[in-house]
Amino acid sequence: MRALVRRFGVYLLAAWVAVTVSFLLPRVVPGNPVAGAVARASQSGNCNAQCVRAIELQLGYNVHTSMWDQYTQYIGNLLHGDLGHSWSENAPVGSLILSYLPWTLVLLGISTTLAFLGGSAIGTLIAWRRGSWTDWLIPFATFFQALPFFFLGIVLVLVLGQTGTMLKWFPSLFGYDIYATTPGPNLPYIGSVVSHAILPAATVVLASMAGFILSIRNQVITTMDEDFVLVAQAKGLPGRTVVWYAVRNALLPVVANFTIAISLVVGGQILVEIVFNYPGIGFHLFDALGKLDYPLVQGVFVVITLVVLVANLIADAVYVAIDPRARQAA
Amino acid sequence: MTIDSTALTHAPATLQRARVLRIPRSPKVIAGLVILGVFSVTPYSPNATDTQNWVRHVLVPGTGGDSGFPASYYPLPLGPSAAHWLGTTVFAQDAWSQLLASTQATMFVGLLAAAIATVLSIIFGVTAGYIGGATDEGLSLVANVSLAIPGLPLLIVLADYVPSAGSSLALVAAIIAVTTWAYTARTLRAQTLSLRNRDFVEASRVSGEGSLRIIGVEILPNLIPIVAASFLFTSLTAIYAYVAISFLGLAGSPTGSPPGLWNWGEMLREGFANNAVRGGWWWWWAPPRICVALLGTGLALVNFGIDEFINPRLRTSGLTAKAARKAGAHVSATLGLTPVMRRTATAANTTPSTPDAVLEIRGLSVDYGYGDQAVHAVRDCDLVLRRGRVLGLAGESGSGKTTLALAAIRLLRAPAVITEGQVLFHSKPFTGDNPKETIDMLAAGPHRLREIRWSEIAVVLQSSLNALNPVTTIGAQFDDMLRAHRPHMSRDQRYTRGVELLDMVGMNGDRLRSYPHELSGGMRQRAMIAMALALEPQVMVLDEPTTALDVVTQREILEELMGLRDRLGFAALFITHDLSLLVEFADDIAVMYAGRLMERAPANSLFRAPRLPYTHGLLHCFPPMHGKRVPMAGIPGSPPDLRDLPSGCAFHPRCKWALDQCKHDVPVLRSIPGPNREVACWLHRNGATPPLELSLAEPGDVMRERLSQVDIQ
Repeated sequence: MRALVRRFGVYLLAAWVAVTVSFLLPRVVPGNPVAGAVARASQSGNCNAQCVRAIELQLGYNVHTSMWDQYTQYIGNLLHGDLGHSWSENAPVGSLILSYLPWTLVLLGISTTLAFLGGSAIGTLIAWRRGSWTDWLIPFATFFQALPFFFLGIVLVLVLGQTGTMLKWFPSLFGYDIYATTPGPNLPYIGSVVSHAILPAATVVLASMAGFILSIRNQVITTMDEDFVLVAQAKGLPGRTVVWYAVRNALLPVVANFTIAISLVVGGQILVEIVFNYPGIGFHLFDALGKLDYPLVQGVFVVITLVVLVANLIADAVYVAIDPRARQAA
Repeated sequence: MTIDSTALTHAPATLQRARVLRIPRSPKVIAGLVILGVFSVTPYSPNATDTQNWVRHVLVPGTGGDSGFPASYYPLPLGPSAAHWLGTTVFAQDAWSQLLASTQATMFVGLLAAAIATVLSIIFGVTAGYIGGATDEGLSLVANVSLAIPGLPLLIVLADYVPSAGSSLALVAAIIAVTTWAYTARTLRAQTLSLRNRDFVEASRVSGEGSLRIIGVEILPNLIPIVAASFLFTSLTAIYAYVAISFLGLAGSPTGSPPGLWNWGEMLREGFANNAVRGGWWWWWAPPRICVALLGTGLALVNFGIDEFINPRLRTSGLTAKAARKAGAHVSATLGLTPVMRRTATAANTTPSTPDAVLEIRGLSVDYGYGDQAVHAVRDCDLVLRRGRVLGLAGESGSGKTTLALAAIRLLRAPAVITEGQVLFHSKPFTGDNPKETIDMLAAGPHRLREIRWSEIAVVLQSSLNALNPVTTIGAQFDDMLRAHRPHMSRDQRYTRGVELLDMVGMNGDRLRSYPHELSGGMRQRAMIAMALALEPQVMVLDEPTTALDVVTQREILEELMGLRDRLGFAALFITHDLSLLVEFADDIAVMYAGRLMERAPANSLFRAPRLPYTHGLLHCFPPMHGKRVPMAGIPGSPPDLRDLPSGCAFHPRCKWALDQCKHDVPVLRSIPGPNREVACWLHRNGATPPLELSLAEPGDVMRERLSQVDIQ
């Protein structure tokens, strides 16, 4: 348990750093962000004196309390779940984010799971059948692994998307058909949500699966040279069991390195959401940046960080569960 | 794209200082480097010195992307022509110049960010790894925390908040570096930590060299491959991050900013914003994409090559099968079967040469690799293991003893290939369902071999820590083997059998629930032996089963093993480099040198009266456990390189009695006087007179033995 608690401590610290960075940024950067924000807010319509004041408060500008008091108040608010008030949406940031979050989490969860399982299966197959036709998958995986998420997204939109120019097979804008369906538990809406998720999910799966394929392949090849796999073969175990011996051990370093993978996938998904105007948290981060809605930007950043930290904690717990040596140390 | 960090952490185990600077020369790496080179150099080629002006160059004077005229003011983009190689944009700018300027800026940001991140991570990683203690704790915490915070969102927020970020490439690069350095720092720290405890670093420290010197001379050069890999990895990450945030319009717009800010992301964004795709102006939107894809491929290729360089196992894998096919060998893809190359269809004679033979090896040759590069590891070896007896196989490391034994039971992995010979297993099972029969091991299929393995022929390897699956309990490893070979046993029966077996080797049955890492080395080896005996096999292959253990445990386990042999009646092929050990436990001994069998004799005869100079040398390498003292002479020189064997008898350069003939002719095993004695040595042939040391009396002959002792004294 001790190792897990330690990791938890690191994540708490990371969360604190993220929160502090998002508090400090608008206050320490040179220039006058308020003027820009007010200008931008006026451009989009109505920024009255109240709005200007709200912006000033949020950015700690023209406020007559000390930085430290602002900070403690900010942290206190966060702990109560109060992430501030969004100017552009005129709603509490917390509830806005809660409404964005499901889109992101479902898409992220499904596509990462698919990518991990598919990648592990294909990587194992390539390692096991090395020297056969499956080796042809390696250059492809290398190529896809090297492509940035957003780039793959644009290509998919272009080739398969309805807003593209070629096949127009799948919808490629928004999370559902905002004209023809009404959100709610009705069949057309659900169907629309599913069909709209296909391309963004395909992008995340394709881009992240390649990485899993290569790292599992490398690990399985390395593990297959271990003595315990030789002994498994000497024991006359069925082929499937021998493969499992190797894969089970090869997964350990891959899970241990999940921290990096999850950061990359979350970062990638933000870009994918933007490319597809998918109504998740990443798209709204982009949207809020465009509107200079700093409270929303800060809130989204903090929440994204928390999502990544929770995912890391889960990965750590999984690691402890699958490696008896770590269990002993934990 | 991630770096295979486990491979990296193992890396310098194989990297010697001299090898560090060698660039891997695979076609993949070369292709990758060429792509990278083109990208780094092209924007600075003589024709392109003026790119910044070209970007501004427009067809309609006084207009441009930053002049406030709408796109509709301009003529439609022109296709590629001699004047405009990549046509023009909606703003009537030259797309080729724009692409060159973009490439310049993109590469600059990427490389600068990677350089900053690399320097940061070297400082952090090396300091933390080298100093250790509280410094390490603190620095690692910083690295872990910044690793846990997702980089891209942080970058997006940072780039947006820092208003001047848009106009300064260096600032963008610095921000990207801050979000990407931690991973490399962590890898370098782990590497430094393991280097710090290496012998050559310890040696420098003991000899009083300063820390800075040790870091500079001993540690940094060993980190070069990892630093290089990380640098490439970080520059790719940085370039993509830059392109991504520019594409989103977050890295400052070039419209109204200095022209140096054109980059691929910006080009893509402008193209998309101005309907380049729908307008069919591919010359405008396609090139930056192709650049992104090409650069990614280039870096991926180099990275792939570096991976293979650091972890050679990845490289050998694919090649061997191809080479095998070329060499005309039939290689079964099924793992765990040594491939067999049949040059001649031998009419197999399957009658046992002696009635009590259980495993017979006839003329077995094993190569590593195929065709011209093949290394002949075992050549033309004959061995007969007799029922219930212990046959010792001795030799220095690299003499081919393990190769011979594992090849005979088809456990050796590619690139090993059996090129010639015959292996017969005359099976008379003690228990189980397998019939009495003779099995041609080299012709048997995977299904057949799987049946025989463990139930009739079991193996105990040298290091039981690696031989047991680290992630399952000892019990589970007993269980899967029993389930495969004794399908009729119930779960309870299997458990009871497990307890019984552990008890047999003096272990508590509770240990079934233990994981391998919870047992001591000796216990693990006992568990391994218990597992090997579970199905009462007829043959046990013991590959240095006790070498990794301390002397006391070693003796205990060997005595137990021999006790079990007496009870269960298995035959054992005992492989070791320790002849004195064999003398106590083996019935017969075969000595190998450079892949050939050189001497064969009953254990006692061989020990008391060696006939082969090499055997004589081996016997004088280890102090005898009993008996009178003899001077420890050892064998001068070192084992030969199998790729470059001396002509004639491979031992002749190290042999003090070598004759002229030894340099030209390869000796083969021939019977010599004495009980079942054979030796491959010219000293005992053609009327040559062997030296006194090699013609001692057979131990059975008491009178002559005494006489010869008198002679020596």
